[in-house]
Amino acid sequence: MRKFLCLLAVFYLFNSQAQAHKIVGSSWTDGSDIEGEVGFSNGQMALKGTLVEVFKNHDEKIGETQILDDGLFRYTPIEATTHRFFINLGAGHVAEVIVNPDELPENLKQSTTPVAVDTPSSPDITASSEIATLVAKAVRKEVQPLRKEIASYKEKNDLQSILGGIGYILGLTGIIFYIAARRKESDKG
Amino acid sequence: MHIVDGALSNDVVVAGGILAVAGIGFGLRKMDMEKIPAAGILSATFFVASLIHVPLGPSSVHLIMNGLAGLILGWAAFPALFVGLLLQALFFGYGGVTVLGVNTVAIALPAVMMHYVCRHGIQSSHKKIAMVWGAIAGASSIALTALIVTLCLALTGEAFIPAAKLVIIAHIPVMTIEGFLCACAVSLIHRVKPELFNTFFKTEAMSHA
Repeated sequence: MRKFLCLLAVFYLFNSQAQAHKIVGSSWTDGSDIEGEVGFSNGQMALKGTLVEVFKNHDEKIGETQILDDGLFRYTPIEATTHRFFINLGAGHVAEVIVNPDELPENLKQSTTPVAVDTPSSPDITASSEIATLVAKAVRKEVQPLRKEIASYKEKNDLQSILGGIGYILGLTGIIFYIAARRKESDKG
Repeated sequence: MHIVDGALSNDVVVAGGILAVAGIGFGLRKMDMEKIPAAGILSATFFVASLIHVPLGPSSVHLIMNGLAGLILGWAAFPALFVGLLLQALFFGYGGVTVLGVNTVAIALPAVMMHYVCRHGIQSSHKKIAMVWGAIAGASSIALTALIVTLCLALTGEAFIPAAKLVIIAHIPVMTIEGFLCACAVSLIHRVKPELFNTFFKTEAMSHA
């Protein structure tokens, strides 16, 4: 009994620091760059210096970059195609972030569509676009903890799914029993 | 321990799938009436054990309990662990559906190997000896699983030796815990139901003949 209690204590110790090992990645645009974030779903971010490979149209490698602080990476796209960022976090953990052409930075999007009128940018427009980027940056910063929380919330295994899984296993056991019993019957008959 | 979708090349995934199907088929043929409840229970144990995580560095490892399943079930561990893995992939998103075959082989094959290595040891009438063999089975099946996982990753392009070292070192705590758990399980079985191993091994011996 004492052994069992010790065991339980050990379990509890490990369980209280339960870690999940799913990978979450996301990306957005920042000025003319694509910025992305990669980490584990428990809120821990990818290690600094991890290689990020960039592919065009899913298989053609066009460049690479590195993870900076806080699991962030940055890449300046030069073509208006689908970008695929592939990050190998080691030990079978890989992350993939796909950026479609319509999510690319504004300046690239414009380059694909024929420029109709070349209006000289007035100080008004640049100011408002600057404010827009600033606001976008601020909102992203504010929302980041929330995003992490949602990611870790998704990761939570509630009792329902555990019990559900056990239920499935019991059900399957029953089915296999049924098949085995029928086989035995037909062997007899 | 679970390999995730997209980490392996297609060849490895297909090969893993074929091996897993063969193993499951063979395991189902070997599963007789007496083994079905044990298979169900051990499948459920495996399913739940994976929720107990041991944090380590950037990653984390969790209990697997494939050694115990292998000791008791032999080849029938293949279908039992496959069901557990399938449900883990569906409910918790561990691993993935495409790499299910590779994961099944990585976890069930060491279990079966340990079954044949330790079957005589755990039937020893001395409880201590049986417990030691149980611990060996629990710990080595984790080590073998880690090796197979690394090998799969190596076939896809990761350097084998450093990765293998890393994975094995990362799993030393789990190996210790599982070795201990397996030894406890063997000791318990010895005390309350010593015929558990004998019946299963006997029926197997008969089906061999």
